[in-house]
Amino acid sequence: MKVARPDSLEQALSLITDGGVPVAGGTAFQLEYAQGTTPPAQYVPVGHLIPTGIKGLTIGAGTPLEDLRHAGIPLLSDACRDVAAPNIRRLGTLGGNLAWRKGCLVPALIALDALITTTNGSMPVLEYLSAPDGLVLSITLRPLEGGQIQSTWRKVGLRQAFTASVIATAGMMSLCDNTIVQIRLAAGGGATPAQRLTAVEHWLVGQNIHAIDQAILRQRLEDAIIAVDCPFRTASYRRKVAAASLAAGLFGLPLAPRNKMPEPSKTAFPPALTELSRLKGGDRWHTRPDMPAKLRGTFPYLTDKRADGMLVGRILRAGRPHALIRSIDTTKAESLDGVEAVVTHRDIKGLNAFGIVFQDQPALCHDKVRYTGDAVAAVAAIDAETAERALSLIEVVYDDLPVISDASCALAPDAPPVHTAGNLVTAVAHGRGDTSTGWAQAVHIVEDTYVTPRQMHGFMETEGGWAAPDGDGLIICAGGQHGSRDQMQLARILDVPADSLRVVTSPTGGAFGGKDELTVQPALALLAQKTGKPVRLHLSRAESVQAGTKRNPLTIRMKTGCDAQGNLVAQEVEVISDCGAYASLAPGVLETALEHVVGPYKIDHYRANGRLAYTNNGTCGAFRGFGANQMTFAIECQMDRLAVLAGLDPLEIRRRNLRIPGSPGVLGQRVAPSERLSEMLAAAAHSDMWQPFPVNADEIPGVGMALNYQGNGLGTIPQDEADFGLGLKDGKIQALCGLDEMGQGLTASLHGAVADRLGCARTDVCSVTGDTMLAPDSGSTTAARGGFVVWQGVNRTAPAFEAALLERAATIKGCTPEALKIVPGGVGETRLNSSTPCVSFAELGEIAPVMAHYDFPKTDYTKGNARFIFAFGATLARVAVNRITGMVRVVDLEMHTAAGPVIDMASYLGQMEGGLVQGLGYTLTENMSYQNGRPVAGNFDSYMVPSVKDVPEAMRITAHEGLDANDPYGPRGAGELGIGAIMPAIANAVATATGQCPATMPIAPETVLEMLEGAHGPL
Amino acid sequence: MVRFSLNGVETEIAPDAMLLTRLREGLGKTSTKVGCEIGRCGACTVLRDGVAVNACLVMGWQLDGAEICTIDGLETMPAGQLLIKAMEIENGFQCGYCAPGVMMSLAGLLSGETIPTDAMIEEALEGNICRCTGYHSILRGARLARDMIKEKHL
Repeated sequence: MKVARPDSLEQALSLITDGGVPVAGGTAFQLEYAQGTTPPAQYVPVGHLIPTGIKGLTIGAGTPLEDLRHAGIPLLSDACRDVAAPNIRRLGTLGGNLAWRKGCLVPALIALDALITTTNGSMPVLEYLSAPDGLVLSITLRPLEGGQIQSTWRKVGLRQAFTASVIATAGMMSLCDNTIVQIRLAAGGGATPAQRLTAVEHWLVGQNIHAIDQAILRQRLEDAIIAVDCPFRTASYRRKVAAASLAAGLFGLPLAPRNKMPEPSKTAFPPALTELSRLKGGDRWHTRPDMPAKLRGTFPYLTDKRADGMLVGRILRAGRPHALIRSIDTTKAESLDGVEAVVTHRDIKGLNAFGIVFQDQPALCHDKVRYTGDAVAAVAAIDAETAERALSLIEVVYDDLPVISDASCALAPDAPPVHTAGNLVTAVAHGRGDTSTGWAQAVHIVEDTYVTPRQMHGFMETEGGWAAPDGDGLIICAGGQHGSRDQMQLARILDVPADSLRVVTSPTGGAFGGKDELTVQPALALLAQKTGKPVRLHLSRAESVQAGTKRNPLTIRMKTGCDAQGNLVAQEVEVISDCGAYASLAPGVLETALEHVVGPYKIDHYRANGRLAYTNNGTCGAFRGFGANQMTFAIECQMDRLAVLAGLDPLEIRRRNLRIPGSPGVLGQRVAPSERLSEMLAAAAHSDMWQPFPVNADEIPGVGMALNYQGNGLGTIPQDEADFGLGLKDGKIQALCGLDEMGQGLTASLHGAVADRLGCARTDVCSVTGDTMLAPDSGSTTAARGGFVVWQGVNRTAPAFEAALLERAATIKGCTPEALKIVPGGVGETRLNSSTPCVSFAELGEIAPVMAHYDFPKTDYTKGNARFIFAFGATLARVAVNRITGMVRVVDLEMHTAAGPVIDMASYLGQMEGGLVQGLGYTLTENMSYQNGRPVAGNFDSYMVPSVKDVPEAMRITAHEGLDANDPYGPRGAGELGIGAIMPAIANAVATATGQCPATMPIAPETVLEMLEGAHGPL
Repeated sequence: MVRFSLNGVETEIAPDAMLLTRLREGLGKTSTKVGCEIGRCGACTVLRDGVAVNACLVMGWQLDGAEICTIDGLETMPAGQLLIKAMEIENGFQCGYCAPGVMMSLAGLLSGETIPTDAMIEEALEGNICRCTGYHSILRGARLARDMIKEKHL
């Protein structure tokens, strides 16, 4: 692209006439290119040529939006507040927002009757928008004057802030003795055409504002507003919220209806709870060892590796959901200057398939593609540009196949198969008792279909890393969650001995299950092998969105019955899970969902069936919660709904049905001690969250809770073991642990566990993680198993290591080991009541690692996969449901947890807070939907993870740390607990505000509006 | 080529090159992170002439004579030093990949003339996505940094 440097407006205009594109802040362009617009041949910067600044009511077109946001201009400053985010508003200009014509400021400019002055004269804003003529120079606002002036502005988006506009409205009116003298009403923004609602304005002028029938006004507005459907919101939703925004904004809202809030019954006293915070934590609060480097930009992420001669890799994706491959021709790409290698299935010497459960996913597709993100070929070139050009030169001929875009349809007998064996991946069924006996006892029955969305992990560091020749083999460094398993899978693909591959998986910038399966490693390894050179490869966000693993969407049909006293008597559950194109860990997710099918409750009679179906909807697998949270959503909503029917409060119905500690698990398996459900319930009952709380005038409050019951570890069927070591080197105690640091606080936990056990300082510890050459195989960093692995590893190695250390020190000091103890910095004398070392760790030389091998605790049930260890929690949510937009704002969250002793307080707190908010997004805004096998969202502009404005004002987290006497299992997993019950807690809170439980997630604002109208009449 | 200053060092960029690409791909300065390349995550936030902007939205032609400060230059700023200290105390981040961008958004805010309110801190972070923390630890660190700055009258 050329960038002109015009010295005058005339010159700029002539360049624009010749096809140049004028640009001021340029903030919309990258987004537009990402959405498919071709970049122009020439940019014509005009920012330095057009007026900037605010003079009275005239604003220079080059004025940055962030300046306007703080300028105190009626209506416009408020509107600027809702455009993008401050960092973008500093670049974006008013002229640019207007000339883009899709900007959400347009309705405000219409309501202000802006006069647009361009290089070709002046015209009213609507005229400019319908036929832009010339370069915008200035915007003159002409607000209403005289009488009493009122104005309103509301932008409705897909989340609370930093969102594209669903619809924006602006209104301004002048009153004289309560009579409307003049009024301007406008709508627009995003896909909504800019419009002034003149017919409604005419109807309103002359009316007394107190005599206006709001229902008629809203109807007239709804009829007048022109809106369109988009994949995220319907036209009718847009009309409805725009009408309500204008009516309420100018004429006020009727008083909020009063809704009945649950009154919790309290029986048992809550247990002693540790409040998790720096202020309450005192000396238990430590700076995480990885924090200083992360804050300074020096933390060594694997995608940041740069070296001379390092090639850049890129992957060719299918770009179509389902097709046969007829041919792949790489000749042109290979002959491009700067291309060092192109790899396809023909370069794979071993098994061209991977998958943690079934090896059904090709490393590089050979006969067919099954989702748009399928990898077909990969290129290594001297730079990114060349690699990308080479991708475009690879010629693949496809024969498209019918697309399977729905899991239920995939299971129909005549459905075209995604894989040759058919679309049913796995089926799981179990039960207990006789449901017909159970239904005979049922007095109240609730039956509904709960639908959970396809959530994207959205780790900030996308999949990537580097690979290079290493001795006779390769080193492959890419964020992962189990290096040894990646090594095994890669060796199978490359047909090389596993020990010829060194796999480094840490550190990584977030994973949440999404880096559990292989991602870019096969392409990286093949490229490094073929070129014999180091290659790096880092997925763009757009590619990650398309190709990366997602959470399996589940459709859960659940029927639950209780007797007149609220005792659960029967339950039937049918689950269909959308697998996407490849199995990965989806079979485990379904199995885990069904393992949590009765929640933490006793139900004598239940049947549960689950089916997992291949589709062409991307590919799904592990994600924090792993099916348990989806099922918890259904069962915990059922509990609240049955409570209403049985006349019980949410606490009492749970109390009556809690499983008895020590009783068998759902599959009849023996489970670990230290069950803490009644304690969690007591903590929830005594919470202040049930007290009334203030909300805004346009909101209705709601409060809800849900219990957590989360299995830890991989279960009885998969191998679930760990190796761990403790040694001394370079003056540091080395904790050798093959788990991965992905942000959860593995390093902090290792340092904390070692220091607590040995008595050294945390800074005396150095951890070696996520590297198959340097660290042992400690199993996968998944399934909330890390806490146990760390604690048990330290327990098992500490005695022998301590003995060796003290013996070495005793030899140096010429005393007995009994006279010595480990202190911060080294070894000190026992007789001195001091923590000063007499020998430093550095002086002690090297001690070979003391190693341990151990199993993650398992139960006795092997007919299916069953967990032995569980962690417990209770989540409470306060919400404010907006009467105008139907959007749900989470005001406050409280979570009580029982996962045994907390190893590192900051990390544990982080897991809970982060899990809660990730679950909040899953409940309110996140869905990776597919249309005919193609993802609707392409990037973070259309996939809505929570922003800072979407999170609650307060989050309070506690831990019940005690274990039963003689409980040998130590800390439980913390990684999955936080996300486990937030969805039903919010859904139950919304139900108290709207009178109805939302069953389809994320909660659609349009559905909420319908529920509110159903409960309270027109709002 | 357009000349600009990168953390005090004279540097060049092509007029049609994205600043982020120049940093990470051209100069190998990978401390500034890439998260979306369309201005929707804030991982690449840097200071241009003292104010926070997205490096993926700024192109070479917008940098003539500009002073760019990235996370590499954060410790040269008085407010930056306190911000780092406060975030260390509060453990602001988890995976840390969003941190360079978040830190620069906050550095821009905390270096301004006004001592920011809680609401101003939240607004300054609206364009920065963090997937790990749920933002509260970041906000606690930012508020602590603000309080430390207030005490020191920086």
